[in-house]
Amino acid sequence: MKHPPGLKGFLLALSLLLGLLILSTGVGILGYLALEAYLAPPGWTILVLALLVLVPGAVLVGRLFPWLTDWYYFLPALSFLLAFTLYPIALTVYLAFTDYSGARSGFPDRSTETRVVAQEGPRLLLEEPVEEALRCRPCAGETVEVYAEGHRLRARILEAEGNTLVLDRIPPFQAAFVAKVNAFRFVGLRNFSFILSQASKALFPVFAWNVAFALSTVLLNALLGLILGLVLNNKALKLRNFYRTVLIISWALPGVITVQVFVALLNYNFGAINRLLGVLGIYPIPWLNDPDWAKVAILLVNLWLGFPYMMTATLGALSTIPDELYEAAKVDGATPWQALWGITLPLLEKPMVPILLSSFAFNFNNFYIIYLLTGGGPAQEGRLATAQATDILISWAYKTAFSAEGQSAYGLGAAISLLIFAITVAISLVNFRITGALREVR
Amino acid sequence: MRRLLAFLLVGLALYGIYWFALNRLFDAGSYRKQVAFGSVFVPYGWAYALGILLGLVLAILLYSLAYTALANRIQGRKRSPWPLFWQGVTHLFLWILILLVYYPVVQVVAASFDPTNNLFSFRRPDTGFLLLDAKVIPYVPEPSLENYAKLVEGVVLYPYQVGLLLLGGLALLGVALIGLLRRLLTPEDWMDFWQGRLLLLLTLAVFALALTLSPRQFTGQGTEAKFLLWVRNTFLISGLTGLLAVLLTATAGYAFARFRHLPGRYPVLLFFIFVQMFPGFLALVAIYYLLSRLDLLNTFTGLVLAYSGGIISFGTWVYKGYLESISPSLEEAAMVDGATRWQVFTKILLPLSAPMFVFVFLLQFVGTYSEFVLANLVLTGVESWNVGVGLRSFTTGQFQTKWGIFAAASVLGSLPILFLFYGFQQYFVSGYTAGAVKE
Repeated sequence: MKHPPGLKGFLLALSLLLGLLILSTGVGILGYLALEAYLAPPGWTILVLALLVLVPGAVLVGRLFPWLTDWYYFLPALSFLLAFTLYPIALTVYLAFTDYSGARSGFPDRSTETRVVAQEGPRLLLEEPVEEALRCRPCAGETVEVYAEGHRLRARILEAEGNTLVLDRIPPFQAAFVAKVNAFRFVGLRNFSFILSQASKALFPVFAWNVAFALSTVLLNALLGLILGLVLNNKALKLRNFYRTVLIISWALPGVITVQVFVALLNYNFGAINRLLGVLGIYPIPWLNDPDWAKVAILLVNLWLGFPYMMTATLGALSTIPDELYEAAKVDGATPWQALWGITLPLLEKPMVPILLSSFAFNFNNFYIIYLLTGGGPAQEGRLATAQATDILISWAYKTAFSAEGQSAYGLGAAISLLIFAITVAISLVNFRITGALREVR
Repeated sequence: MRRLLAFLLVGLALYGIYWFALNRLFDAGSYRKQVAFGSVFVPYGWAYALGILLGLVLAILLYSLAYTALANRIQGRKRSPWPLFWQGVTHLFLWILILLVYYPVVQVVAASFDPTNNLFSFRRPDTGFLLLDAKVIPYVPEPSLENYAKLVEGVVLYPYQVGLLLLGGLALLGVALIGLLRRLLTPEDWMDFWQGRLLLLLTLAVFALALTLSPRQFTGQGTEAKFLLWVRNTFLISGLTGLLAVLLTATAGYAFARFRHLPGRYPVLLFFIFVQMFPGFLALVAIYYLLSRLDLLNTFTGLVLAYSGGIISFGTWVYKGYLESISPSLEEAAMVDGATRWQVFTKILLPLSAPMFVFVFLLQFVGTYSEFVLANLVLTGVESWNVGVGLRSFTTGQFQTKWGIFAAASVLGSLPILFLFYGFQQYFVSGYTAGAVKE
């Protein structure tokens, strides 16, 4: 059977595939909910169940529509992309509008755990008054989790009076404990209005430093890379392959380790860098303790880490410039200096611009150098505790959501991530526009 | 006009840097004129350094003048000494740069052999040589492997694991030997064959070792005794991620390259590229939520799944490009003979694609080895940390006492990637700078 042609065929195939994926996910979730009361299964049961539906389902649909099997080659990559990239992105958008946080995590609050004394249908008798034990007033409508060894069930309270509460469903097991679920709620634009109301304490300075950091890193690295590329491209230079191999070292070491080594080397009292400066007659520099010097330290460490990449990229771009151009220029009596400004640099522009742009996009979200070198610090007055002197947007979002200073404000962190998403996509679109990557795809 | 604007911008930037240096970096509050206790301070040391540099340049100048004069006299030609002089100055510049770039590396390697933590203390050696006293050249009076010994303390290996280790070591030795022979002799076919086989053996041995080691075998006290466990965790996570990348992208890359008849192939391709624009770790809150719901926090499975989003687009793209460079005539012939698409893919294309799979695997392996954001989020227990997260526990603790051990751990943790990078340098360079050069 032939593949149905045109847009109609594409939409048909797409809806069949997506239908299959949605169906199996739905069965996974429903199956998990059904099993929950009896077995207390781990959450990944959903994935296993979905897979158990997906594989036979795909075979069955393949029998019914033989032309669809060509699309199955996309299925592994597509399902992972949907589940672990697209779904998290959609989830981020949703969470950015909620008050999801450590205290409102959607999990049962163990401090409200109360023993169930007696159970009769949906009616539970607790050992303490419901309103005090579960800390809710009024309690009707709150979600609770009822559990015993190997069983658990989420249910809503219909009514509560004294020590008894009535659930909206009957637990199929003998309940031992009950605890309130700290559900998070939709709060509209509150996270964004918080970011804007505190903009002078966090958003503006962090954004300004983020742009300055990415821009100066790219410029510094490109400058050193360009100089080295030009020097090493000189075919008359002896040992040029040796220099190239040796200078690439900082690229060959795992950055996550070298950045942490630099924390020790930049130490004020004991650091090897300050020891070297002492011999050169420079007083010790507070690399990681002063808000401004910390910025310089980050740029220098990033230069150490990043120049081999730029050097290699420059050498690659230089190798595409034909030698005849230089020979022609020499015949016309051009000095090497004129050849550099007239031939080399203009011809480097086209291959180097995409590299610089993608390097900018990468450094814009270069979390690990900031977080591992300074942790966003040192502290600066008049800032939020999560947005200190060298914090960039991504480390601010991370600290807001996952550090003690941020008090696990996941929703707020998601809102910040959303801002970064917008900026990152804008940079990428500019990159696509300039390089014309999309036109080459076909 | 454009040139004027460029000059203006550069001038503005330079003035900004000057202002920043004067008012923010070298003001009285930030740059205090006091010498750290126990350190060496040479007033006007930079002037001496400049003097030495100038002397070297002068020496190069004299040498090139003398050499050219001599050569001109003997050969009776008239050549300019300047190319030789500039060549010498270039070498000088490159060597100074090498010294600067390697300074941190040398300091760390030296510190890893120094059990007394001499390099991270107030103690000042008294050798009479300025650079040694200042510890600019690392002063290690009694080098020993004590720091490394602390990292492997209490590690119990079963006999078959020792065997695997020996096997891996022998394979590594063989690979290195053949690599050396390749440099010395002219490359031959048996070298490629055996190097491939030995590399495969090495990979299998390392992977088997990583799989069979269990946290119970690391009985040493203190967190540093868990270091090898972290290395094993990292290998497991990175290896699985690389494998998953190959598995997920192979079929999609094939379909993109060969199924040109499918309507809507282009929109799907666009979708893959657009998804790549969203760095996965930006959705870290959502991924944390997702993994906590799936009860996969603090598991390797959870971390590998979280990585999987970021690896698909790139791998698919690379494999698609590779297949498009292979002529489809062989496949068409097979299809005429009645082979199905699946048979064509598995029997013809997969064996041809081995180098590409190695490339995708290696890039993902090295990439995840250095990943920190998600690892720090997902891996919360000491026993499931990877190398990056584990080292972080040293830097947040007391440096003075653990600096030597930290240095040893850094050296050991960097070695695998260093070997991989220099062993497969062409792969990495072409992989990361793809797009720079379009033939």
